[in-house]
Amino acid sequence: MTTNSRFAPPRAAYIHVPFCRHRCGYCNFTLIAGRDDLVDSYLQAITRELSWLETPREVDTLFIGGGTPTHLTCEQLQQLCATITEWFPLADGHEASVEANPLDLTIEKVDLLASYGLNRISLGAQSFSASKLALLERDHRREQIVSAFEAARETMQSVSLDLIFGVPDETLDNWEIDLKLALGLSPDHVSTYGLMFERGTSFWSRLMKEDLTQVAEEVERQMYLAAIHRLTQADFEQYEVSNFARPGHRCRHNEVYWAGETYFAAGPGAARYIDGRRETNHRSTTTYLNRVLANQSPVAESETLDAEDSARERLVFGLRRLEGVDRGGFATATGFEIDQLVGKPLSKFAHAKLLEDDGSRIRMTQEGLLVSDSIWPEFLRR
Amino acid sequence: MAVPKVPQENIRNFCIVAHIDHGKSTLADRLLEQTGTVSSREMKQQLLDDMELERERGITIKARAVVLYYDRDGKTYELNLIDTPGHVDFHYEVSRSLTCCEGALLLVDAFQGVEAQTVANGFAAMEHNLAVVPVINKIDLSHARPDEVAEEMEHSLAVEQEAIVRVSAKAGIGIGELLDAIIDQIPPPSGDPSKPLQAMVFDSHYDDYRGAITYVRIMDGVVRKGQKIRFLKGESTHEVMELGQFAPQQRACEELRAGQVGYLVCNIKSIDDVHIGDTISLPGDNAAPALPGYKPPQRMVYCGLYPSDGQDFTELRDALTKLAINDPSFEFEAETSEALGFGFRCGFLGLLHMEIIQQRLEQESDIDLVQTAPNVTYEIVTKRGETLQIHRPQEVPDAGEIEEFRQPIVRVSLIQPTEYIGPVMKLCQDRRGVLNGQEYLSPTRTMLTYELPLAEVIYDLHDKLKSVTRGYGTMNYEVIGYFPADLARLDILVNGNRVDALSFICNKGDADRRGRAVVKTLKKEIERHMFEVAVQAAIGTRVIARETVSALRKNVTAKCYGGDISRKRKLWAKQKEGKKRMKSIGSVDIPQKAFMAVLDTGEGNKK
Ligand SMILES: Nc1nc2c(ncn2[C@@H]2O[C@H](COP(=O)(O)OP(=O)(O)O)[C@@H](O)[C@H]2O)c(=O)[nH]1
Ligand code: SF4
Ligand SMILES: [Mg+2]
Repeated sequence: MTTNSRFAPPRAAYIHVPFCRHRCGYCNFTLIAGRDDLVDSYLQAITRELSWLETPREVDTLFIGGGTPTHLTCEQLQQLCATITEWFPLADGHEASVEANPLDLTIEKVDLLASYGLNRISLGAQSFSASKLALLERDHRREQIVSAFEAARETMQSVSLDLIFGVPDETLDNWEIDLKLALGLSPDHVSTYGLMFERGTSFWSRLMKEDLTQVAEEVERQMYLAAIHRLTQADFEQYEVSNFARPGHRCRHNEVYWAGETYFAAGPGAARYIDGRRETNHRSTTTYLNRVLANQSPVAESETLDAEDSARERLVFGLRRLEGVDRGGFATATGFEIDQLVGKPLSKFAHAKLLEDDGSRIRMTQEGLLVSDSIWPEFLRR
Repeated sequence: MAVPKVPQENIRNFCIVAHIDHGKSTLADRLLEQTGTVSSREMKQQLLDDMELERERGITIKARAVVLYYDRDGKTYELNLIDTPGHVDFHYEVSRSLTCCEGALLLVDAFQGVEAQTVANGFAAMEHNLAVVPVINKIDLSHARPDEVAEEMEHSLAVEQEAIVRVSAKAGIGIGELLDAIIDQIPPPSGDPSKPLQAMVFDSHYDDYRGAITYVRIMDGVVRKGQKIRFLKGESTHEVMELGQFAPQQRACEELRAGQVGYLVCNIKSIDDVHIGDTISLPGDNAAPALPGYKPPQRMVYCGLYPSDGQDFTELRDALTKLAINDPSFEFEAETSEALGFGFRCGFLGLLHMEIIQQRLEQESDIDLVQTAPNVTYEIVTKRGETLQIHRPQEVPDAGEIEEFRQPIVRVSLIQPTEYIGPVMKLCQDRRGVLNGQEYLSPTRTMLTYELPLAEVIYDLHDKLKSVTRGYGTMNYEVIGYFPADLARLDILVNGNRVDALSFICNKGDADRRGRAVVKTLKKEIERHMFEVAVQAAIGTRVIARETVSALRKNVTAKCYGGDISRKRKLWAKQKEGKKRMKSIGSVDIPQKAFMAVLDTGEGNKK
């Protein structure tokens, strides 16, 4: 078996837009705040980077993420969509998502996006509480979430809301209110994220200075369980650690990542997976621009996994999905039997009821998922 | 350089005894230089400390010997300088070196003054009937206080102030006078070259190509190349392949005569055949009597060394074997622990010796180690009247079988500026010390003598002494014997399973405090698991302390999209690597550091 035959050519593409109005205190994404002067160079660079594909590649899923793609002006957004869809023509029955900030998402922009075939909006609502939004240093208010949501709802096939929980001082009751208000909008999809304190963010240094305190682990657990409970009660299916969908509204693009399938990518910090090789573009927007505009590769890191490591990786990321991993499918896709790779820890965790194993399919239990970061190391190797 | 033939009356054998850092190595260098043994160009600082580790730690561990030639009044003198280890752990080797000498330079720092090892080593030299040449070093220091120090020396060691030679080893001041004092005050060796060979083995080292190199002082007779010799204690006979002196590199010669110091190479493949303190003589009926005083090295401290999970046991054994070849005072034997699997119980002269061996293991081999907390050797007399040597806590029998539990007691001398006497006394009393004596060395310095359990001394007394005296306190100790005490074995249980490698022996009166301290430390060291981990301390079946490491309740990465996948996989794979440095007991991962937790005395929690 050659490496290449294991990997089908990508049918998915990710585009990273690194601009934001300002940097929120908890955010460590690849972005550059307050440098709208760079947008034009960026558009030029993206066009250049995509042109290196040589021929257009039809995709089933597209995801324009950020940063804040909707921070671009209509004109800039239009240019961006034109370039992207030129190089990544959308196949019939496609899913094409864009991340949006409540403050920027006007009807005009929604219509523009829709005209290029974008049919899914992921709205960075985060919370409906004024104090929580202020603490998160978000620039929108509750009413703006509602109007942005309504605007998207008109034209888009699918609208998703992002919510954050476990913000300093937040209580379980506060969180339940956020969940209720979110459900009140009847979204098609919800992503809920426990707040992470990441190195290099201002939240991290505030945490170190004890200017911020983390929510107790037990409370965070209760919040996560409350989200699962409320959303599944409202007919959402939890299909991944942080993702919930109404029937037919899973994010197919993200499922590509978790299933270990291949994808194209462009833009600063963007990661692609082609032919068994993972590559990540430089995370500094200016470096990215300089390189691409000088016709140099923007790739900062790359690795090619051997068959066993990529099988193990597929297992771990597959298990973060609630439907789990099927033994037969896994063996066909990777050439490895699960039991041969991780038989011992598998039975240990099954015994501890952290995962379920019916002999053909392996899935995490809720308890297992809750502590899954402590499980994954045992499935990997160095 | 032509080797002069020196008559016996012109030979002087001497050593330098000093407290650490008082300048022994520097003085040795200066003597080498001044006598032209080594030109200043070749002069690497501190030539005698040639082991890398000694340089690093600035202390002399192994004794060395070097021959110097010095011309005075038309005569050539052969001065054999025998270096001695400066640390109490190597006390036994000091005493072997002293046996080879007729004189000793007693070196004292002009600022620090008399310290614990000055006194201990000074007395040792006197007990061996050596001519003592008192020396004050570092007189170049602007804050030197030579007159007070001279007074301290008179008080504590009964040397005459007028006899003290004042030098600066660093600046080369007074070195000529010192050489005069060596020649004039130290008698030549008194051996008889016509008698049968009698030589003292005072050190050895192992050379990969030539086997054991034996360091000797010839007491009587002559030894020649090609001759057959016999180790009286080792009961083995060998042929002398090569012999010579250290100048300071090995320099072969034809013979070594009564009074001389040098080395023998005898094609000895195992260092076990060479015992420090043994006597070399002739095979057959004509042998000289054995010299008195051979004692096997006494290991005072034991600990277990285990390869961490997934590492090779045989690799560790090879590394230990290699170390033991060069250091016969280090010993090891295979042992098994329920908790740690296959490993070795290792015996050391003291705690410093243990640290040195461990550091060498890490430097010279690539093995991740799990080390158990060190313990001293105890004695137990059973109801049936047997006396057991207990090298590890697991060997302690059930309480019902013990008639008497004994521990080693040491006499500790502590010297410090008088103002710190209160805190030092408290330190010793807290450790069940019994005050033996108190002596004023000078208006500002006092020596205290305590009897203390060795176990209390080795763990942290030295560090604590330094901290309560702002670094000015020094100590030295000697074992005086085993005495009964109210001792018990404390066990540590992790989720109900006794972890044998965490058991320790302590005084029953301290058990509650120690038990609480240890479980508290363990709680900090053990990471949270997916289940609760109970850590208990118990004597027999009685639990005396408990802590709980709460279970992990939530540990899950929320966001994991395209760009996160590589990063996360690497992170998790690295955590797996980290687990290798742990020992898995039951299903609880215990990090290496936790095995030292039993050293936690709970001092801070004392009311
Ligand atoms: N000022 C001064 N420093 C000295 C003198 N002799 C030694 N030293 C310093 O004292 C320290 C300890 O010396 P060393 O010879 O290693 O001591 P040892 O531990 O007794 O061998 C070193 O930093 C030396 O440079 C001296 O005569 N004058
Ligand atoms: S808007 Fe989103 S991407 Fe931009 S800084 Fe805030 S959290 Fe980060
Ligand atoms: Mg030295």
